[in-house]
Amino acid sequence: MSGTEQTPEEGVTRDDPMIAAEWALGLLEGEELLAARGKYATDPNFAWRKEWWDGWFAPLSDAMPGAEPGEHVWTGITARVTAAQAAAGAPAAEGAAGANVVALEARVRLWQRVAGLSSIAAAALLAWVALTPARAPDAPPAQIAAAAPMVATVPIGETGLRLDVTYIPESERMVVAAIGLTPDGVHDHELWLVPADGTPLQSLGVVEPGAVRSMTLPAAAVAKLGAGASLVLTREPIGGKPADKDAGPVVAKGAFSRV
Amino acid sequence: MAARPRPSSDEAREALRDAMARLAAGDQAALEEIYRATRVKLFGICLRILGDRKEAEDALQDVYVNLWQRADRYDPTRASPIAWLAAFARNRAIDRLRTGKVRGGAVPVEEAAPLADETPLADALLVDAEQAAQIHKCLGVLDARTQGHIRAAFFEGKTYAQLAEAADVPLGTMKSWIRRGLQRLRACLEASEAA
Repeated sequence: MSGTEQTPEEGVTRDDPMIAAEWALGLLEGEELLAARGKYATDPNFAWRKEWWDGWFAPLSDAMPGAEPGEHVWTGITARVTAAQAAAGAPAAEGAAGANVVALEARVRLWQRVAGLSSIAAAALLAWVALTPARAPDAPPAQIAAAAPMVATVPIGETGLRLDVTYIPESERMVVAAIGLTPDGVHDHELWLVPADGTPLQSLGVVEPGAVRSMTLPAAAVAKLGAGASLVLTREPIGGKPADKDAGPVVAKGAFSRV
Repeated sequence: MAARPRPSSDEAREALRDAMARLAAGDQAALEEIYRATRVKLFGICLRILGDRKEAEDALQDVYVNLWQRADRYDPTRASPIAWLAAFARNRAIDRLRTGKVRGGAVPVEEAAPLADETPLADALLVDAEQAAQIHKCLGVLDARTQGHIRAAFFEGKTYAQLAEAADVPLGTMKSWIRRGLQRLRACLEASEAA
């Protein structure tokens, strides 16, 4: 399923413009799709070509008959936009907003201006803030910084994608941002804590692709989470490592450092 | 492939371009204008790809919320706003299809389905007519089989694997057919740009 397909009998090379076309048409799935997205994020030529195809294919959509969506769609859009603005502390703020990724991304922009942290680390941090009901959504960044969070970046192969993990000491909570990752329908990826003292790996659970998730860490994991601790990501069957099997191959790793 | 002249379409396009620019500059009111002008078309796209009203409405919501967040990604020098939005909506719908939450293809389409020009479009904005004519012309040069598969991918959001299964051929064969088609398509489109 993985690997570059070749079609020697036809003499067609699967070069980048071809991959961009395949992606623009929507033919790709699983790891090929993941790879294309990663390339889009890191390779301007590839991104240009993808948009070139998008532009050429766009007129075909004129053949799709229009349809009127329900009224609630617009209501939902305004609610989400308002929530995001509230979370970002914009003037339109109307109380605490739900903790969705939209709110989060708005906060990221704010945070980037304020603190200049790396974006995803900031996203993860702010997700944590947003997901913690006890804390006001407009809590000033200074309070967050005071927590001296630990951040690990786990790059995924050559894809340009990465997993960002943020741990806030004393909160026993960790935020895992797997933005840009997509499920391939066959595998899950499980995150493991590798303690610095050589004690056994501890599972931190299965990563949810495309999502930012906050989780409560077991005390045993918290105890091992200090300088020098690192993370590995393994590829497992759906649902994570079966209890009676060894963990799958390590596909990525990263180490914690203090922000 | 005659461009159907619409007295108001130039103005509609201009208004949309303007609204996109304002949105990128942070004017939130522009989002509603864009929504009013484009929802019918973009919902049609989501519905066609996802084949389920509820899913399509969720996708549509994502499209506009995403647009609000990233209006600055639209480059007016590269694409007309409606072309860009149409691609944006279709990409979001396909993403949704690929997350496995929905089974696609609930709106089947005969492969030989007639193309755009006979289809009534209610008040949906049309993508640039000249560009439309060119892609139709270049697709028309391909053999009927390849054209059919490329259309099925575009209109129904089929993957290589699904197309191969539907046509009852090995995956590698389907990939060869489509890649050969895409290669010719690219050459034809590039030639038209150079002209």
